[in-house]
Amino acid sequence: MGLKIIVAVKWVPNTQIVNIDPRTGTLIREGIPSIINPHDLNAVEVALQLKEKYGGTVTAISMAPMSAKAGLEFIIGMGVDKAVLISDRVFAGADTLATSYTLSRAIERLKPYDILLFGQETIDSSTGHIGAQTASWLKIPYIYYVTDVEYIDGVVRVKRRLERRIEVYELPTPCLLVVAMKSNEPRPVKLPYKLRAKMENCIEVWTNNELGLMRECIGLRGSPTRVEKSIATPSIPRKKQKFDGQDVRAAAKWLIDKLIEEGVKIA
Amino acid sequence: MSGSSICPEWELVNKDEWRGVWIFIEAFEGEVNEASLQLLNPGRRIADKIKTDLVGVMLGYNIKHLVNEPIYYGAEKVIYVDDPRLSTYTPEVYAETLVALIRKYKPEILLAAGTLRGREMIPYVANTLRAGITADCTDFDVDVNTRDLIMIRPPFGATLLAHIRAPERRPQLSTVRPNVFKLPQKDTSRKGEIIEERIEIPKPRIKLISTEEVKIEEIPIEKAEIIVSGGRGLGSPDGFKLLEKLAELLGGVVAGSRKAVDAGWIPHEKQVGQTGKSVKASLYIAVGISGAAQHLFGIREAGIVVAINNDPEAPIFENADYGVVADYREVIPALIEEIMMRRSK
Ligand SMILES: Cc1cc2nc3c(=O)[nH]c(=O)nc-3n(C[C@H](O)[C@H](O)[C@H](O)COP(=O)(O)OP(=O)(O)OC[C@H]3O[C@@H](n4cnc5c(N)ncnc54)[C@H](O)[C@@H]3O)c2cc1C
Ligand SMILES: Nc1ncnc2c1ncn2[C@@H]1O[C@H](COP(=O)(O)O)[C@@H](O)[C@H]1O
Repeated sequence: MGLKIIVAVKWVPNTQIVNIDPRTGTLIREGIPSIINPHDLNAVEVALQLKEKYGGTVTAISMAPMSAKAGLEFIIGMGVDKAVLISDRVFAGADTLATSYTLSRAIERLKPYDILLFGQETIDSSTGHIGAQTASWLKIPYIYYVTDVEYIDGVVRVKRRLERRIEVYELPTPCLLVVAMKSNEPRPVKLPYKLRAKMENCIEVWTNNELGLMRECIGLRGSPTRVEKSIATPSIPRKKQKFDGQDVRAAAKWLIDKLIEEGVKIA
Repeated sequence: MSGSSICPEWELVNKDEWRGVWIFIEAFEGEVNEASLQLLNPGRRIADKIKTDLVGVMLGYNIKHLVNEPIYYGAEKVIYVDDPRLSTYTPEVYAETLVALIRKYKPEILLAAGTLRGREMIPYVANTLRAGITADCTDFDVDVNTRDLIMIRPPFGATLLAHIRAPERRPQLSTVRPNVFKLPQKDTSRKGEIIEERIEIPKPRIKLISTEEVKIEEIPIEKAEIIVSGGRGLGSPDGFKLLEKLAELLGGVVAGSRKAVDAGWIPHEKQVGQTGKSVKASLYIAVGISGAAQHLFGIREAGIVVAINNDPEAPIFENADYGVVADYREVIPALIEEIMMRRSK
């Protein structure tokens, strides 16, 4: 039998590459490729390790535009068995409540499952909300910042790390675990797996025809929060003095003099 | 958006029934979390503006000796639950208990510290109430007519601040990272109303098996006086070795931007910024950091800011007191040498 594991991954713009135009202060988005949220790969790695240890299947789900297929192929290349891409215009504009609602309804369709795995946060929005909100929709127990998972006699035992504390918890199945970012080394893609993604139909696409969710509950309409306006960040007034010259020794001397003037104890 | 077309999964909300500003005050491990008390600062401002009460909410076991703390820092009321079932924290039990209190008292706003546990339990609370929530807010305002909380945070896109509202739903929830707001003045002569609430607490489905404190000797960056901080411009983890040398010489610590953290050059505990930590150092030296809004946010309370960057156009220079346009690999050794020279005199 083994474990039925579901891992949620988000398709995000690669912020390692995204840069701000220093003249206009806006985001340079042109030509920025998207990637699977790097912190979600830690969750994928935990899923694959669990499968290796206890048997079972790993299904990935993602709510994203169709271009995310490339990302799902990537994680199938890591060893994930299959993926569900939730993709429909009507889901656009969702805040975290509407996103987690849509994900949870899709997860219900994949029932029964034992363990849901989420990343700690995404690099584009960084809210970390979706794991807890999905647990709330599904009414299942959950825990964040998980570094290690074992499955003993039907009980999920996890180790988790807070800033100054290591805790061990036990959860029944089904449960939702949010994997701590950087808690493991996600495995590389293996070509045969990746080829499988292309050859076999490992990726299913679900639109709202499959999910049948009410418009009031999804997308912008299902989102309680509204971004009203964006305004320029007020900056803290600073002195803005720049060293004028090329010689680094002179620059160092200038800077140390300034710091001493400011009362920094240097010598 | 008329009331008739709301999602049937949502509870109906009559906004006029919801009043009061609540601050969730963490009291784990037998002490009140300072990051929670800091929120009494914006909380006070919001409550005054819409003429309502500022309330501290506390959950725990054997916390009676702590319940006056929120009053000392500006709340007029504290509502607390003291129950053996809350002696160990699990996100679901704490979140459900808070949900039950919110349903009973109907506060219009709830702010909570974006500590690790806060970030774990507060989104569950918001979702269970089908309420709007924003993470990592950097400031607040309130619309006195609609009583909408205006939740402000830099979104993806860096130099702008988004104003976010949840106009149709109550309560309105936000988390705020520690040290974003200053602790209000403590006044132990302040008096307020203390309400002990007895409430049904759900049976835990998950069990804490063991907990162990990890000793960390290093000074955390949020407490450091001098910080030498590195960004992606360092190009490699070796760059941090150089920064460490300078930091050690100055009696400070190293920190980094998110890109330095993403690259794995420095641990996440040392990230400065909106999704990292806010620092209060009297001297902050930013090396190879461009100065994105999310980063700058973390150094609002810093004293002198020094920028070292080889791009004269980098926004960090507009946000620094002293700047040197050069390759850090040359400037940092020159600085180290200069300091050593002056000390040997
Ligand atoms: C939701 C969200 C939250 C975020 N939270 C944070 C946060 O908390 N903290 C944070 O820092 N960022 C955060 N960011 C990311 C932020 O937008 C920037 O991408 C990030 O701060 C940039 O890091 P950086 O300055 O190190 O890198 P870059 O922007 O790549 O800048 C590198 C700089 O190094 C300079 N440089 C290159 N080589 C050298 C050299 N040899 N010598 C000197 N200088 C050199 C370059 O000129 C450049 O200015 C967040 C982003 C999002 C979307
Ligand atoms: N659109 C999405 N599709 C699938 N999973 C998601 C999506 N958005 C967020 N998640 C999951 O929720 C986690 C937290 O995301 P966030 O709350 O956006 O920081 C991510 O690491 C993913 O595991």
